[in-house]
Amino acid sequence: MGLDYKMVLWNKHKKTYDKIIALGMVLYLVLFIALTLAFNPETIAETMIIRAFGSLAVIMLHIILVIGPLSRLNPQFLPILYNRRHLGVSMFLAALIHGVFAIIHFHTLGNVNPIYAVFTSNMDYGSLTNFPFQVLGFLALLILFFMASTSHDFFLKNLSPNVWKGLHMLVYVAYALILLHVFLGAFQQETSIFTIGILVLGFIVISSLHLVAAFKESKVDGFRGEKDTGGWLKVCDVHEIPEDRAKIFSVGEKRVAIFKYDGKLSAIHNVCKHQGGPLGEGKIVDGCVTCPWHGYQYLPHNGQSPPPFTEKVATYELRLDNDIIYINPIGLEEGTEVEPILC
Amino acid sequence: MEKKDEFYIGYVDAVGKETKSSIKRFVLIALATLLIGAILFGFFQKEANNSVFDFDTPTKISGTYYEAPYPMLRVELAKNTFKDVLLLGFGKFGANAYLDKIKKSEGNINGKHLTIEGNLIYYNGKTLLQIDDSQKISLDNSKKKNFVLPESMGNHEVVGEIVDPKCYFGVMKPGYGKIHRSCAALCISGGIPPVLAVSDNNSISEYFLLTDLKGNPIHKDIVPYIGLPSKLKGKVEKLEDWYTMRIDVSKIEKLDKESSIY
Repeated sequence: MGLDYKMVLWNKHKKTYDKIIALGMVLYLVLFIALTLAFNPETIAETMIIRAFGSLAVIMLHIILVIGPLSRLNPQFLPILYNRRHLGVSMFLAALIHGVFAIIHFHTLGNVNPIYAVFTSNMDYGSLTNFPFQVLGFLALLILFFMASTSHDFFLKNLSPNVWKGLHMLVYVAYALILLHVFLGAFQQETSIFTIGILVLGFIVISSLHLVAAFKESKVDGFRGEKDTGGWLKVCDVHEIPEDRAKIFSVGEKRVAIFKYDGKLSAIHNVCKHQGGPLGEGKIVDGCVTCPWHGYQYLPHNGQSPPPFTEKVATYELRLDNDIIYINPIGLEEGTEVEPILC
Repeated sequence: MEKKDEFYIGYVDAVGKETKSSIKRFVLIALATLLIGAILFGFFQKEANNSVFDFDTPTKISGTYYEAPYPMLRVELAKNTFKDVLLLGFGKFGANAYLDKIKKSEGNINGKHLTIEGNLIYYNGKTLLQIDDSQKISLDNSKKKNFVLPESMGNHEVVGEIVDPKCYFGVMKPGYGKIHRSCAALCISGGIPPVLAVSDNNSISEYFLLTDLKGNPIHKDIVPYIGLPSKLKGKVEKLEDWYTMRIDVSKIEKLDKESSIY
């Protein structure tokens, strides 16, 4: 958490994370270039750069896209999610080198503007196999540019988490465009069952992980508790919630996390104000609900971040009857104090 | 013993044992994926051909200039042994803009002896020269030679791919096919002559400079057919070591198959 905006709030984990990213990228490039020089010695530097950085970006995008669902399925992978934006920006830089070199190589020094040429030098928009695949790559690069350039808490706060999240969900559009760019471009000419195979396998892995994670979450959303005469919702037995942890329930249209700590129970809205992380998958640390994604904290009894921070989430009233927890489905104003119930 | 409830916080240095082991597992798998990717994408590339573009070594060549209809220099390699060097401009442009100055001052330069300094491009028996400055063209004081008429080879129907010769014969690798199609379209619409590259089953290639039915240059009209396997029909003529083919662009047949020149 930070009060002011810095380029990067460095810490030990972020530094290690970035060193591993750099190591991976360098290893990839060195191996790709060595193999190209050994088995394709007549190639030219421009082609080698375009191919090395393009293929690196595609593989990095696959790695980025498995992190989200993997972390939802197993919280032990959350540290990988913690600094994912650095991985995203690094992937964008690889894609940018690919795109810029390709535009310079294929579209400059002609009689029209190179960007205009990307869209007009092949006009077979009606054909699948002859489709101008460069356009797809260009649009994907634009999306990645907007994502990379807003990958900072300054934009997250100023665009609002919802708009920011919406913008960053465009990564799936970029992924689709990139797959089409590769399959309608390079794979039309450089056809190998192995390179096609690795991208097909990547697509299967990414789709499966997302489907399994969505299935897991649908169980929470599918919760339909009984209501008592006062309209309160019966949620679960108090023993189902581990100490310092929470259980998440769907209450009306919202997800609510009920935390158990120090012999008390409190309920707050499940969505972190920072990036929409699932607070109910977090833990009580130093008396605060701590978001599993980036460690943002809230006091469980009032949903407020401890001073000097100012984030607030909605709170909910609870009741305990014979070890059964009931919740008032009508949420209170963000930051409203609610006396925890004893359990 | 009860399992320790590990919880990772990015700004806290301590990391649980099981979390550490999961991170290690992920990092190793990610690095292995990158290495496997590098091996597959690095190894399974079509081998580039041995074409050459001497972009950093200028060469001076002298010969008889003629247009048939594209600018060429006929260079005498040995007594009565000639080579036609196709002239091209810098970037994605033909040579005409660079020849205009000398044409303005000297009039018709067909059959005249020129010395041109440029960058050679060569592959598979064909030589081309990139001119990047009109100052590097000079007229030699020699007599005008009579232009040797091309030899007629009759009508032929051939299957191949229309390429831009500058990239195909050396500037780019690959300089053909779908990946290169947009570049070839820009080159040809910028004044570089369209060439039909044809390969038979024994990988023996022939190259045809394409003109319209009257033997005039074609550029923009042929752009929709570039970089695709196509069937062309027309009257073929032989120059020193190039063929020309007079075609009706509207009768080019696009073929739904993989290009034979890949």
